[in-house]
This record gives sequence, structure tokens and C-alpha cells, in this order.
Amino acid sequence: MVEILPKMPKSWNPESKPHKFCPGCGHGLVLKALGQAIDELGIQDRVVFGCDIGCSLLSWDFFNVDTVQTHHGRTTPVMVGIKRANPNLVVVAYMGDGGGYAIGSQHLVNAATRNEKITCILVNNTNYAMTGGQMAPTTMPGQKTETTPYGRDVEETGYPMLGPEMVAAITREGAYAARGSVAKFAQLKKYIKKALENQMAGRGFSFVEALSTCPTNWRTNAAQTWQFIEETMTKYFPLGEFKVPEGKED
Amino acid sequence: MNDKPITGEKKVFMTGNEVVAWAALAAGAEVMFGYPITPQNEIMHYWTRLAPKYGRKFLQTEDELSAGFTLIGGVLAGKKAFTATAGPGNVLMQEPMSMAEAMRIPTVAVIQQRGGPSTATVIYSQQEVNLTCFGGNGEGLRVVYSTSSHQELFDYTIKAFNTAWKYRFPTFVLADGYQAKMRESLVIYDPFEKMEMVEPEPFVGKPGTPGVDRKPAHLRNAYSVEEELYEALSKDIADYEKAVPELVEHESFNTEESELLVIAHGVVYRSAAMAVKELAEEGRKVGYFRPITLRPFPQEQLKEAARKAKQILVVESAYGQLYRLVRENLYGADIPLKTMFMPGVGITPEEVREKCVALLDGKEA
Amino acid sequence: MLSHQKLPPRIVEAYVGEYASGKSENAINRALDLARLGRKVTLVDLDLVEPFYTLRPIKKELQELGIDVLAWETGQTFGLGETGNILKPEVRWVLRRQGDIILDVGYGVGGVRVLNLIEGAWEDPDLRIYAVINIARPFNSTVEEVVEYVKTLGRVDGLINNSHLGNQTDLEFIQEGARIVAAAAKVLGIPVIATAVADDLAGFKGERDCLGHPIRVLHRFMPHAFW
Repeated sequence: MVEILPKMPKSWNPESKPHKFCPGCGHGLVLKALGQAIDELGIQDRVVFGCDIGCSLLSWDFFNVDTVQTHHGRTTPVMVGIKRANPNLVVVAYMGDGGGYAIGSQHLVNAATRNEKITCILVNNTNYAMTGGQMAPTTMPGQKTETTPYGRDVEETGYPMLGPEMVAAITREGAYAARGSVAKFAQLKKYIKKALENQMAGRGFSFVEALSTCPTNWRTNAAQTWQFIEETMTKYFPLGEFKVPEGKED
Repeated sequence: MNDKPITGEKKVFMTGNEVVAWAALAAGAEVMFGYPITPQNEIMHYWTRLAPKYGRKFLQTEDELSAGFTLIGGVLAGKKAFTATAGPGNVLMQEPMSMAEAMRIPTVAVIQQRGGPSTATVIYSQQEVNLTCFGGNGEGLRVVYSTSSHQELFDYTIKAFNTAWKYRFPTFVLADGYQAKMRESLVIYDPFEKMEMVEPEPFVGKPGTPGVDRKPAHLRNAYSVEEELYEALSKDIADYEKAVPELVEHESFNTEESELLVIAHGVVYRSAAMAVKELAEEGRKVGYFRPITLRPFPQEQLKEAARKAKQILVVESAYGQLYRLVRENLYGADIPLKTMFMPGVGITPEEVREKCVALLDGKEA
Repeated sequence: MLSHQKLPPRIVEAYVGEYASGKSENAINRALDLARLGRKVTLVDLDLVEPFYTLRPIKKELQELGIDVLAWETGQTFGLGETGNILKPEVRWVLRRQGDIILDVGYGVGGVRVLNLIEGAWEDPDLRIYAVINIARPFNSTVEEVVEYVKTLGRVDGLINNSHLGNQTDLEFIQEGARIVAAAAKVLGIPVIATAVADDLAGFKGERDCLGHPIRVLHRFMPHAFW
């Protein structure tokens, strides 16, 4: 029998819906996956959600869970502080690619290295969307943005950052690192749920990068958007799990 | 595991950094977040030695940004937490402190000032007054205690926790490398026996399911429109202004009799006080005013102290950082302001005395 | 007073102890006392946790008083401990020098392991390691604390009672220190070498403390080790 899920996760805050993301934005799907995972794990009463600056900021009142909006790149350390002060809480640091891979990369690297018992969800949409579509650490080679008007020149600005691969490389047993995509919702939700469970089990640092859509800044229609995330992005950013604690493999 | 690091009172001989660690411990601080930087390192050295004996925690972060933001996280989860930093670390610390200021998060930070700009010497300096009072992209809604002795370092570090939690403004204990390394005796005590200690409470993770049993905490300092920010900030400013009379602290000497009023803070105040008291004993008409809170500044008290002064001398190990505060808070008073600025170097009582004598004798304009 | 007759031909002493316990003050005064007897003395700065703070500012003053001081000079350093030049290279070979060697060891979790950095230290038959104890220091204020603390240091050959409260010291406090240090020494099975007393403490000019330990009179240098 097919279980029919409610349209809106129970942990969502209905008062802030409809949400404020652009049409076609992937954030809503990532947050839906997170909401469903929270519901299924029954942890709405002990989740603390932290959101970064950038489009992720728009999630500050998204859930009926305690939420802290922090500064750009600083969500990871705030969640580290909360978790260390009250290990019973389940903390989620939610950020974009700029917050996690550029301005806050030192926090991501060190939280991972210390195996902090937190869950980071990082939304990769290949650009800085809220500030108007500039280059991000994840911008694809050749991709045009407002600060790479002739396309990203990898000689000048390097290649896109591979976050989950990096986290997998610098963490030890107990950590979890995966890359999902809003184009594969069930898989993404499974990764997020595993990342939360990994924190709840006290095993270690848990990291999920979510490939996400930004038609507004990509200037793409629905078909082109889907094509970009499913074909172009996944060529560079492979989906899958990069580090799974022993016994938790599929 | 011991619960009480100190029972009753005890006379001890310590360095300033150790005093801070003991004071935080005595005040019931549960966790320190920090990144090593001279001259505050021994605060961490001693905290990490002491903390496990009393069930307290420590996290050495990747930088001062992280120290400040993990501190905020710890406080949000309901812990008495603190950090300590200096110089360039204080620069980085301003970002998290701005967030704490905007979100009324009761943080405690001990600043051991060092020479600047940027990285430089690590002993004498009062060059982090601007930064500590007004750093960050905000209005300086903070409390800054400037200490001058180990007893004060102990007393005000404890007080900082109470102030922060009572008023919910970021609270700083501002000392310097000299106080950090200096050795002198003091009386340490259990503050829970002596005063009412303000207990912390969590901002997040309270009992009940958000949206069902209670409202969720949705904490932010981002606003959609200027008016919304203005409204939030106006409330904070009103709270701050209301608290000013309760917060301001100062010390003064001989102001009724003095034609020359010397103004200094922190460790420089010690030199100034020695020089002034010596001169006063010799019958010279000189007094001093020492702000203990640099933020908020004891404006009314300074105006009162300066009522009879024919000239004022501001002495500091900085190039006019205290002077700007004095000038602003004395606005309208028609008294010539003289200065003795020695940015990043120490000032001896003899040097202050010499300057005072020259001013009193009219040998220096 | 020190006299030649009782002293061995070569003295090598390392002063270890809690932060701000008076290691430098005791090491300096010991070096000067020996020099006053016409002995050749080298005083060595081995503070690696908080380098440059104690001997550097008074190095010249001490050298003028007749001892050789192996410590950085202000002009030789950069950034005073903010950079990497902590251990002065010639310190490594200092035990090859002639005459008495007094080592001022800093505090830190390494304890006496810092002597691993000195060539031949552990083989040196003359080496004595003395822990300086001030009972006004929080980790050193009871017999149990002193015992526990000294055990963390590694090899220690004797204790020095340096109990004081800065300029608020009184005789009773020093004697109380002597009692605690003596009791701790007994537990540890090592001797009390001396009780140190600042020279400005009027009325305490005897040769022995209440328990019969020799008095070492200290002239205080640290207050004007004006950084």
C-alpha cells in the first residue's frame, strides 16, 4: 500500500507559507525533504535549525522548530556551540554554497575535522543568487554569472569546489557525506534523513550537499532548468554517498 | 567532581590572565570558546587546566569568528559561556559581537588589549577602546568595563556575566597585556555566597514542541525594510538608555578641590592616581576621574567631577580613544582639554606627575 | 649567608614550578649569590610557554651585576613571542660551559621535560631540579595540591618554599608556607632546600625558618622587569 504523505510536512510553519523562494527554486524541495525527515524521525521538539545569509536566509521562519538566522558563513559555528552546550538537541546548519565553501569554509573544514555531531545541509545552485547572480565556488567552468560575464575561466578562478568529496576526505569513521539533488527527491530525502540519524546516534559530522535549481539567475525555462541540474551539473557533481559509517551502507 | 571552585574567601597571588579564568569559574561559566592569541593565552591555559575538575567545557575553535559564533550558540542553548581575545582577534570578534548586539544575546568577552594597528606588540595598549565600545556595524549597545587591578579583573569578570544576562547586551572586560601578565595579590571568593547571581536561560530547545505546545523561537537580525530594523533597534536603544544609570561606574578623587582634573582609565589610571594623590598631598589642586564603564560612559558623573576644573588632562596609552569619549561626554563644558597620548606604550606615575606639574605651573599651554 | 666551603665545585640547578610561583626571582637571586662569591655563573632563560617576559627586560642589569645571562635581548627578537624564535640556540649547549649553570624553567604541561632540549642534562651528575612553591598559588595551596602538582612535573630533587603575597606578605604566611612545603616534601621523599624571603620584609633576617630550613634572601627583580 502506498502511504500518502500530507502535502505539507507537519514541522513546517504554515503561517510562513506560501514560502518566499522564487518560482522553480530548489530550496523549497530541500526544505520539504528536511521537513519530512524531521516528521518521520519525530524530532520536531528538539531540532534547532540555523540558516545562513543568502537565499537560505528566507527559511528563517520556515519551520515550527526553533530557528536562528546567523551571519554569512557562520551558521556552522553557531550550531556547533548549541550542540556542544546541549547535546540532546538535533542541530541543522543550512547554508548555500557561498556560506559553506567560501566565506565560511574554515568553519566547515574544522567542524568536519573535529567530527562535530551536527548536520550541515548545503544548497549548491552554482551561483550567488540573492546578491544578483555572481560567481560562487560551485559555478561551472564556462558558466556566465554577473562576475564572470565571459564565462568562468578556470585558469583565473579555479574549478568548482567538490564539498562532499572534501568532507569525506578529511573526516574519519563515523562521519557521513553525500550529494543529492532536488531532481531526485526520494534520494535527497534519504540522505538528509541518514545525516540526521547519524547525528542522533552521536556518530559524527554529517554533511549533505543538495544540487538545486536557480532558474531566476540561470535565466532558464522549466525544461532548460531541469536539463542543467540533471545533465550539466551532475557531470561535474556526481550524486551519491561519499562517506557512510560502517553498517549504514545501503 | 567538585562543584565549587572556591568556598568563602581566599587570598592568592596570581597573574591577571589566571584571575580571569578563576573568576569565570567562580561565576559559574560552563564553557569557554576561544582561539589562542597573546596576551590572553593563559586564560585558556588555566581554564583548560581547571575546567575538567569542575565539569566545565572548552572548545578551541579555528579562529575568533568561530570562537564568537560558537559562544553565541552556547549562550542560545542556555549556558553561561565566554571567550577571550586581543588585538586582531578582537577585530574578528566584532562580527559575532554585532550579531549578539543585534539579537540581545548575553555574551561575555575578555579583551586583553595589545598594540596596533593590526598585529603588533603585546604588553601596553589602550588602543582597543574604539573597537570594543563601538566595533561592528551597529550602535555600540554594549557594556565595557575597564579594569585596573587583579581584584577588579576578578570582580568585573564575575559582574560581566550578571550584567550580560540581566541586560542582554554583549559585555566586555577590557584589560591589557600588562594586566594579563602582571602579578599581584587579590582576594578570590565564591560570588554565589556574596551576591545574587543572574541565572542563564535557553533561547532555543525549551520544553515542548514548537508550533504545538509553544511558539517556535525564530531569532533573526535580518529585516525586510528599514522601518522594521528601525523599530527593533529603537527598542534596543531605549532599553540601553534606560539601563545607563544602573550600568555606569566611575571613581573620582579630590574633584571638589581640583583645578586640574586628570582623566584616565584601566592600568594607566593607576599611574595617574598615584601621581595625583602624591601631588594632592603636597597641596596641589589636582584630582582625577576614572571611568570604569567606558560604554556606557558615566557622562553625568564626569560633568559633575569637572565642574570646578580649570583644565583637564586626558592620559592614555592610545592616540585619543579615551579623549574622544571624554570630549563627547563633556560637550558644552568650557574647559581646556590637555592630552598625554602614548599609543601602545606604558605610562609611569612620574611621567603623569611631570605633565601635571607643568600644567599646574602654567609652564605648558 | 653562602660561604665557599660548603658549596660543591660546580652547581647546576633548574628552577621549575607553577606559573608566577617565583621561579625567575629565585633563579636570579641564586645566580647572583653565587656570583658574589666570585664564582662564574650562567643564568639561562628556559621559559618556552611565555618566552621573553622575565629575563629579557633585565638581562643587561643582571649582566652588570656579574653573571652571564643566556636570554634574548629585545633587539634580537621580533614580536616578543608572537614569532618562532623562542629557544636561544646556545641554550642547547649550555651545560658545556664552565662554572655554575642556573636554569630558569617556565611553567607549562611539559614540566621538567623541557630539559630534554639541553644536551647532556639527564647525564649531568651535578643537575638538581628544584620546584618553587608559593602556597598563595591556587594549585599549590595545600599539602595534597603541592604533592599532586610536583608529581606532574617529573623528576624533582627538592622544594623551595617561596610563599608570598607580593607586597602584602607577612611572616606568618611564610611560616605557613614552610609547614605546607615541608609536609609535601616529606610525602614526596625529597628535601626542602630553602625558604625564600624578600629582602624588604623587615624583621625576618634570621638564617632559618620555623622548621629550620635555610633562608634565602631575595632581592626582587620582577617588579621592575618592566616589559
